[in-house]
Amino acid sequence: MAVSTIYSTQSLNSTHFLTSSSSSSTSKHVFFYRRNQSQTNRRFNTTIITCAQQQTIVIGLAADSGCGKSTFMRRLTSVFGGAAEPPRGGNPDSNTLISDTTTVICLDDYHSLDRTGRKEKGVTALDPRANDFDLMYEQVKALKSGVAVEKPIYNHVTGLLDAPELIQPPKILVIEGLHPMFDERVRSLLDFSIYLDISNEVKFAWKIQRDMAERGHSLESIKASIEARKPDFDAFIDPQKQYADAVIEVLPTQLIPDDNEGKVLRVRLIMKEGVKYFSPVYLFDEGSTISWIPCGRKLTCSYPGIKFNYEPDSYFDNEVSILEMDGQFDRLDELIYVESHLSNLSSKFYGEVTQQMLKHADFPGSNNGTGLFQTIVGLKIRDLYEQLIANKATAPAETAKA
Amino acid sequence: FNPVKATPEGGISDIVEKSIKDAQETCAGDPVSGECVAAWDEVEELSAAASHARDKKKAGGSDPLEEYCKDNPETDECRTYDN
Repeated sequence: MAVSTIYSTQSLNSTHFLTSSSSSSTSKHVFFYRRNQSQTNRRFNTTIITCAQQQTIVIGLAADSGCGKSTFMRRLTSVFGGAAEPPRGGNPDSNTLISDTTTVICLDDYHSLDRTGRKEKGVTALDPRANDFDLMYEQVKALKSGVAVEKPIYNHVTGLLDAPELIQPPKILVIEGLHPMFDERVRSLLDFSIYLDISNEVKFAWKIQRDMAERGHSLESIKASIEARKPDFDAFIDPQKQYADAVIEVLPTQLIPDDNEGKVLRVRLIMKEGVKYFSPVYLFDEGSTISWIPCGRKLTCSYPGIKFNYEPDSYFDNEVSILEMDGQFDRLDELIYVESHLSNLSSKFYGEVTQQMLKHADFPGSNNGTGLFQTIVGLKIRDLYEQLIANKATAPAETAKA
Repeated sequence: FNPVKATPEGGISDIVEKSIKDAQETCAGDPVSGECVAAWDEVEELSAAASHARDKKKAGGSDPLEEYCKDNPETDECRTYDN
């Protein structure tokens, strides 16, 4: 017995056609077709309604551009198994990544203004006015309740809004981009949220590494670009971190005085307390304040070494636990020594964190806290997903009994 | 609707270079105007796209044997058996 809901808050001008698939009992499709004349880009707005019993959980990942969202996404999908690939046979510039369990959509696809539109109005992509939160809410809500949608594609090369692509409801939907927690309605749909908080010093160092080889770029142009976007970043993107269940903060190291290379990092994993199905990781003893230098007889460290820190704290009036790692590993397999002293990792077997890190030793951040904490958050999300699904399976049975 | 446009030949590097020049010119007059900020935002977007394209290209051609074996799995140097 499937329960169907039809989602469309915008008025439907015409019902183009209406079908229901013949054989499948769990999945029925109804197509509503609407052409929106008011929009200048003449984008098709199509909503497809599917009735299915499968439940989708939604994860939000917020970060600025060039801050390692894609590396995090690759680590996350790897925890669930299988590689994420762009949709087959579709637009070559599609931003979507699909694997067996996860679908990652890039929120740039919900830009309401294309590149020329933003230039004419003098707004950046960070500005809420350049984004269509109504459509974002409708489509994420539809996907969460098992309904496929026709999502627009923002083409990063041409700067235009391309023809939409069909997105099927996955088991796990990840929405990544600048504003996953900006709109209150979209925020209420998220089962878990993550914010990647890269400090200005590190952001600058990373962009130099990324862009210096590019023609036309100089230190001045990289600096100017960061400076110009900063007011909008501070106004619209940064405040979202107060809503995140987990924040990964990346700061310059304190182990080397006056380091500005951005290669050695101090990374903090800030985990909110009291979130359902999410129990924060701890070091040695839950709720204590601990500083730990693992280097010694059991772990070889060269300069500048490794330093861990664990403490309870408050963050935007929320109670949090903070796990911090400063420094980097020389030999990744020795990470098992660190892993064995961390608790509540939600791993399925002893050594899973180390194994996941070794699997992707070539990804950026594999020898420091960014890779370690991204992997840990990936395991926590898997645990949350499994608990949510198990709970949803038992809930209908209980209501039936009562 | 917008037809699907292929990535322009000649590379994204040219577009990045041009966008930087544009931004520098736009900002020469008024460094805090909306136009200036939007122009630098465009530079960031294109630089990110260029870097993603570079990574993809690097990942694709990193192992010549693997590339070859994708197209020729039946050859001596590519055949693998699970047991």
